[in-house]
Amino acid sequence: MAHLVFENVSVRYPIYNARAQSLRHQFMRIATGGKIAAEAGHTVSVTALDDVSFELKSGDSIGLIGHNGAGKSTLLRTMAGIYTQDSGRIIREGRIATVLEIGSGMDPELSGYENILRMGMLMGMSLKEARSKIPEIEEFTELGDFLNLPVRTYSSGMTMRLMFAVGTSFQPEILLVDEMFGAGDAGFQEKAKARMHDLIANAEIFVFASHDHTMLGGLCGRVYELKHGKMNYLPDFKDKKLERTGA
Amino acid sequence: MSSRWTATQNDLLDALRKLPAALFLSWSDTKARYKRSMLGPFWLTLGTAIGVGGLGFVWSTLFKMDKATFIPLLTVGLILWGFIAAIVTESSQLFIQNAQLIRNLRIPLFFYPIKLVLRHLINLAHNAIVILIVFLIYPPDWHWSAWLVIPGFVLVVLNLSWMSLFIGMFASRYRDTETAITNFMPLLFFMSPVLFKAEQLGVGSWIVWMNPFSYFISIVRDPLLGHPSPEFVWPVAIGMVLVGWAVTLWMFNSRRTRIPYWI
Repeated sequence: MAHLVFENVSVRYPIYNARAQSLRHQFMRIATGGKIAAEAGHTVSVTALDDVSFELKSGDSIGLIGHNGAGKSTLLRTMAGIYTQDSGRIIREGRIATVLEIGSGMDPELSGYENILRMGMLMGMSLKEARSKIPEIEEFTELGDFLNLPVRTYSSGMTMRLMFAVGTSFQPEILLVDEMFGAGDAGFQEKAKARMHDLIANAEIFVFASHDHTMLGGLCGRVYELKHGKMNYLPDFKDKKLERTGA
Repeated sequence: MSSRWTATQNDLLDALRKLPAALFLSWSDTKARYKRSMLGPFWLTLGTAIGVGGLGFVWSTLFKMDKATFIPLLTVGLILWGFIAAIVTESSQLFIQNAQLIRNLRIPLFFYPIKLVLRHLINLAHNAIVILIVFLIYPPDWHWSAWLVIPGFVLVVLNLSWMSLFIGMFASRYRDTETAITNFMPLLFFMSPVLFKAEQLGVGSWIVWMNPFSYFISIVRDPLLGHPSPEFVWPVAIGMVLVGWAVTLWMFNSRRTRIPYWI
């Protein structure tokens, strides 16, 4: 049973400017009593999530919308345990897979096959397990002989196929996907949708951040909007969507 | 506080559990680097052999030194220095270079220093072939104390591991650390007993022992070449492991969760 609970979770992260990242400036600041390089210590802190609470259970599929910088990626990373909350409590039960950025974890010089093994092992599989996933990934990505070529020769759509296939190949119980389907062609989008439907049907948790309202409507049971670090439920998202397309 | 320490411990333990993955990845990194070359990773061996051969003959002639003592000294010294310097220098990019991975997959952060050290151990293994060849040409007179090379090397690896994590964290917060390190490494090279033995400096030898890397070279090379290390080398190396790890763990514990934001 997958389970993901946020209780009053807040995430703030510091943004350092070039001066704050400079050791020389820090030394100057100490040496001059902070008078000359007064600016150096200033770091801006951004509150990406502000007192967010929710509970996700098996079978939940959640969509996240919100404009750029609203905190969608931060929320996904906090769910995955990459970012640690400043306050609040998070309970995670279930294997987590993330498909967040295209090409992360891949070595462009190595072939598709070698990258499958790399990614698999990074995600916690043994070499044997990762090898056993290869036929399934071959079939899902339809990349054929391209899998023998270095990943640097791939188009972004092909890289994304491979990433998505590897990311979802070890039956994650919690799947977190950030906006990235733009790169796939229509055929692949259909396949990805079908696979996600499978995952959702297998009683897993699925969280998807996107700007594509049609995809969100098609894949997600509930849609939330992220705004100023708060999550707001949009109960009539699907109805509105229908109205808009109807009009 | 205690839950933070538990999380830190989990990070360390998870990373150690991922040792096979780290080994696989560092091997595949090594392969990737030499992917489009004929000799593959053996370019490393060849490069080292050429460097050691050339420097050995030029310098031993220049300084009028006995080749049979100077060339093994230089070979082992240079290869060890290469191993140490590569880990220290590359550690300043440890988390920055892996930023994409860190921000996208949940992997314990201690995994990265392990991977870095393993990759350089693989390189060192390739370079060790040169040492073997040199030892065949100029056989060292080994004493029973030659086995000390094993605990000595373990101490070096333990020291380099904390250094890697420490430098990696520090450099991701303060980006000019990398420049500072690349500027100081040549100085430390000349302060290391690579081209000479510390004793040759006479009273000035304290300069060499100011440099932490001198201990690493001495503790491995001396037993390997069959001459005794100064008696303070071992306590200092062990002390460095203990103090270094204590400070690094304290820092890692208090700042670990900030690393994904720094990079």
